[in-house]
Amino acid sequence: MNTLAQTLFNGMALGSVYALVALGFCLVFKASGAVNFAHGSLLLLGGYLVAVLHEPLGFAGALAVAAAGTAAAAAVEALVLRRVARANGPAVPTILTIGVDILLLTELARRIGGDVLGTGDPWGAEVLTIGGVTVAQARFYSLLAAALLVGAFLAAFRWTGWGLSMRAYSSDAEAAALMGVRGDRLRMSAWLLAGALAAVAAVFLAAFPGTGIDRTTGQIALAAFPAAVLGGLGSVGGALLGSVVVGMAEALATGYQQQLSGLGSGLAEVVPYAVMVLILIVRPQGLLGAKESTRV
Amino acid sequence: MSDRSAKAHTSVTDRVRALGPRRIAALAGCLLLLAPPLYLSSFWLQTGLFAMVAVIAAIGLNLLVGTAGQLSLGHAFFLAVGAYGYTWLADDTHRSGTADLSGLGLPPLLAFVAAVLLAGVAGAAFSPLSGRLRGMYLGVATLALIFFGHHAMLNAESYTGGFNGRTVPEMEILGLSLGDADDGLAVLGVPFGGLERLWYFGLVLVAVAALAARNLLKGRPGRALGALRDSEVAAAVMGVPAARYRAAAFTVSSMYAGAAGALLALAAQRVVPDYFSLLLSMDMLAMIVIGGLGSVAGAAAGAVFVSVLPQLLAHYSDALPLVVSAGSAEPGLGSADAARFLYGAALVLTLVFAPGGLVSLRGGRAARALRGLPRPRRPAPTLPSTSPQPSAGATTGGDTLKEHTP
Amino acid sequence: MNRRKFLAAAAAATSLAVVLAGCSTKGGESAATTDKSGIKTGPGITKDKISVGVLTDLSGPVAPLGKSALQAEQLYLKQVNVAGGVCGRTIELVVRDHGLDVQKAVAAYAEIEPQIAALGQLSGSAQTAALLDGIEKDKLQSIQIGASGTVLGKPHLRLMASTYDIDMVNGVGFLVKAAKLKKGDKVGHVYVEGEYGGNAAEGAEFAAKKAGLTLVAQTVKPTDKDLTAQVTALRAAGVKAIVFSGVPAQTASLVGVAAATGLKVPVLASAPAYVPQLLATPAKPALEKMLYVASPWPALSVDTPSVKKLVDDYTKAYPKDPVNQAAQAGNAAGSLLVGTLKAACEAKDLSRDGISKALRSLTAYAEGFHEPQNFSDPAKASSTKTYIAQPAAGVPGGMKQIQDATEDPWLAEYLAAHGG
Repeated sequence: MNTLAQTLFNGMALGSVYALVALGFCLVFKASGAVNFAHGSLLLLGGYLVAVLHEPLGFAGALAVAAAGTAAAAAVEALVLRRVARANGPAVPTILTIGVDILLLTELARRIGGDVLGTGDPWGAEVLTIGGVTVAQARFYSLLAAALLVGAFLAAFRWTGWGLSMRAYSSDAEAAALMGVRGDRLRMSAWLLAGALAAVAAVFLAAFPGTGIDRTTGQIALAAFPAAVLGGLGSVGGALLGSVVVGMAEALATGYQQQLSGLGSGLAEVVPYAVMVLILIVRPQGLLGAKESTRV
Repeated sequence: MSDRSAKAHTSVTDRVRALGPRRIAALAGCLLLLAPPLYLSSFWLQTGLFAMVAVIAAIGLNLLVGTAGQLSLGHAFFLAVGAYGYTWLADDTHRSGTADLSGLGLPPLLAFVAAVLLAGVAGAAFSPLSGRLRGMYLGVATLALIFFGHHAMLNAESYTGGFNGRTVPEMEILGLSLGDADDGLAVLGVPFGGLERLWYFGLVLVAVAALAARNLLKGRPGRALGALRDSEVAAAVMGVPAARYRAAAFTVSSMYAGAAGALLALAAQRVVPDYFSLLLSMDMLAMIVIGGLGSVAGAAAGAVFVSVLPQLLAHYSDALPLVVSAGSAEPGLGSADAARFLYGAALVLTLVFAPGGLVSLRGGRAARALRGLPRPRRPAPTLPSTSPQPSAGATTGGDTLKEHTP
Repeated sequence: MNRRKFLAAAAAATSLAVVLAGCSTKGGESAATTDKSGIKTGPGITKDKISVGVLTDLSGPVAPLGKSALQAEQLYLKQVNVAGGVCGRTIELVVRDHGLDVQKAVAAYAEIEPQIAALGQLSGSAQTAALLDGIEKDKLQSIQIGASGTVLGKPHLRLMASTYDIDMVNGVGFLVKAAKLKKGDKVGHVYVEGEYGGNAAEGAEFAAKKAGLTLVAQTVKPTDKDLTAQVTALRAAGVKAIVFSGVPAQTASLVGVAAATGLKVPVLASAPAYVPQLLATPAKPALEKMLYVASPWPALSVDTPSVKKLVDDYTKAYPKDPVNQAAQAGNAAGSLLVGTLKAACEAKDLSRDGISKALRSLTAYAEGFHEPQNFSDPAKASSTKTYIAQPAAGVPGGMKQIQDATEDPWLAEYLAAHGG
């Protein structure tokens, strides 16, 4: 029983980090209709900036600068994306993000080399014990931070003018423009937010029991892709739900791998995708994705 | 002036006129492609064969992404099906080291064809998703294939040999081995080993792949897919069954990947799971974008660019500024990093400044000059469409495609 | 227009001529010849130079290790060349970077194979696997950096020192004594998917069975950074010790989480699981207390003249790069190469076959290895002994030695069972 509780908590903690990443995917998709394959590299950039800057600036300062820097990088990507002609099909903007990813990742990997960089986070290797379940302090805070950030985001989405414009814009860009919504600014704000969230996710990923930033840190994005898609691309609630589902599935597959050994070893890597494929077969638009209405 | 030179070479130009300069140029190119085994070292032959693999795979992927507008990041999986499929079908059941490997022991050529079909079956098996999912959803869903494939390659050891992979049986056509057989075969004094022989096999495959794709694009399927890409509703109104065409495009495209994979296996002589990573899928997408989406020649050009560039840089790193050779103590950019920067930048710049890819650059001035014609205006879309700027490429199918194909 | 047609025709004619003329310079294989002093030579040998290939990762994920190993070998060969070289010839390295990319490795191999006498350094397990057939076909003697026992048995692929599985058999033997493990005790077994982890697991499983221990197995994927789930499972099972074969970042997570959650048991790790940089993570105190590393190489902080010389020379030549186990392996590869070429020179046969034979004639070769190594049988590891070390800050290599090269009594039985 204790193991189950512990495993479920691990799943939640994992899901909370996925949520920060998947929310970024979701925002970008809403704004630009592209899946951002450079998101993992943006995350790595955020982590790298914190790692490099935490000594002169302190952790909080470094995180602030990193979030701003990553947001700026995302904004640059958005600007490039705006220039792309979509004439050659809807896949083109997404392919562009692959190009951005190659450039960003090559440079970051070159700088990081084989190092494991610490981020100087304040949580150290401390653990908390709650009701027989032991959790690393950093994991507890990552859950808390994710909940706060996501809550704040949802509130803003629901109740502020920005949220209203965002919803209007993503449901009908032309009509929203006619009503005075400035599409360019809105798109940019989504990208900036996605970038900043990626930097925050990087810090929690690096914190204990993770072991800092290395060149593969950005690969978390590969597990967050299915989270965003199975929930329904472009649906904020879907991204959150998907993150929890994927986090749980992965933690269960790892925690109970001895019982599942008949399926071959290394199952945890496959599980997010298996769950996603099963859901997509039943619901091609994802769990909470809106069925695309088509206008002629 | 042109008249004079024409008169001086009447006998040649008569025939030339019958063929047309573009075909002559293409013919000359084809002839030149026959020469490398006589001159180039095995390194360049190996690189060339890998480039041919990339060309075939890219042409196939282009059918899906460029023409049908569907994104796939899972094509490395179908290459793996082709590569392992061929190896398993052609190899005998035997024991290698500590592993028992199974195999069917089919004749190699039959195994090759069967491997291509197997990849097609794998692609068709994905049709519940490939037929129903659109654009980005399909793109991410196909990522699943990479992970499933990797899992299978590592765990199904009796078929794949696990992490260390397995030896690929040699191709044999009508009794002629395409491996390093000791039969003393030499052409014009050059001994012909496995790579030299495979070169011609690869060329034939590339030619078949290109011609088949061209015919497919020119015909009804190409137009239907293009219409689907630009507007599903409009296409449906015109009588194109969306799900069936999408699934079919995916299947055909995976058969191309299967053929490429089987050729890759032959060229590499040993298949290991590490070939078939997400990186390979991404490289293939980069190829078709750099070359020019929706064009057969573009896919080929992009494939050659992306697969040969790193080798060129590594080979000539001593002579290049800024790039340092492997193992040198000087600080500088390694050739592998330089190649990735170059091709990442090429990908971004192509999409931003020349969305038509390499072929559009050539197809612009050079092609116009060759034909002595003004560039045709972008034809009006034949179908009503909701997309802001309907593309010329596929909506009108045949007409514009001609311009892209040599 | 017509002029263009003419040009096109001319181009076609020229290309046809080029193809048919076949005035190719591409000749056949350079056959083995004999030089003035009666030494048989082969590819890669000229009258004053011996070319040796290096195929390693200098730009990919393990580039820093590849670089260390390469630099150490370059350093060793430089010293040999300054002292006059081998057989009156200097040794020159032809280096290619495969960036852990299989396709690049295959192409690079095809490029350098015709011009080298041996492959002095080959790294990357997938890359090695892809080249297994090519190396045998070309009879190119190769020295592999890396120690997975599954590639043993290929006549031309030489591994150095002990392999991962041997280290695990010896390591578990050490663990049984150190942690006072009894029959029936549970031991956690965490290993990474793939070649290295799988090979190490074979050894660990054998030794555990012999000692009557029950293994609680958990696999991780190479990209996992957070091993909380695995530690949770091990804690629930009540393990008394942990055997681990993964990547360094995972070691810090595993040991850190175990310590933080009160699972304070000894952890035995394979050599690739540890790098000195881990001492900069929050897990440092736990690592110093709980971790033991089973390694084919002595700790760099030991007080042996040969180890000291390597540390001093390397630090002097590359003051910015820390000396590590990869440098030890590179140094050993250089030494083995020189030893082989010297033996081949004495036998007056520098052909590829001669070099292979010379390598197999080395049955007690110690230079660069500290323990005499037996290279006579390609199917067997050259050493059956393992060193045990513990993390320690402020010393070269970040480890202090706990136990000198030791062979466990069970090992002979393990090797007999896996000798095939």
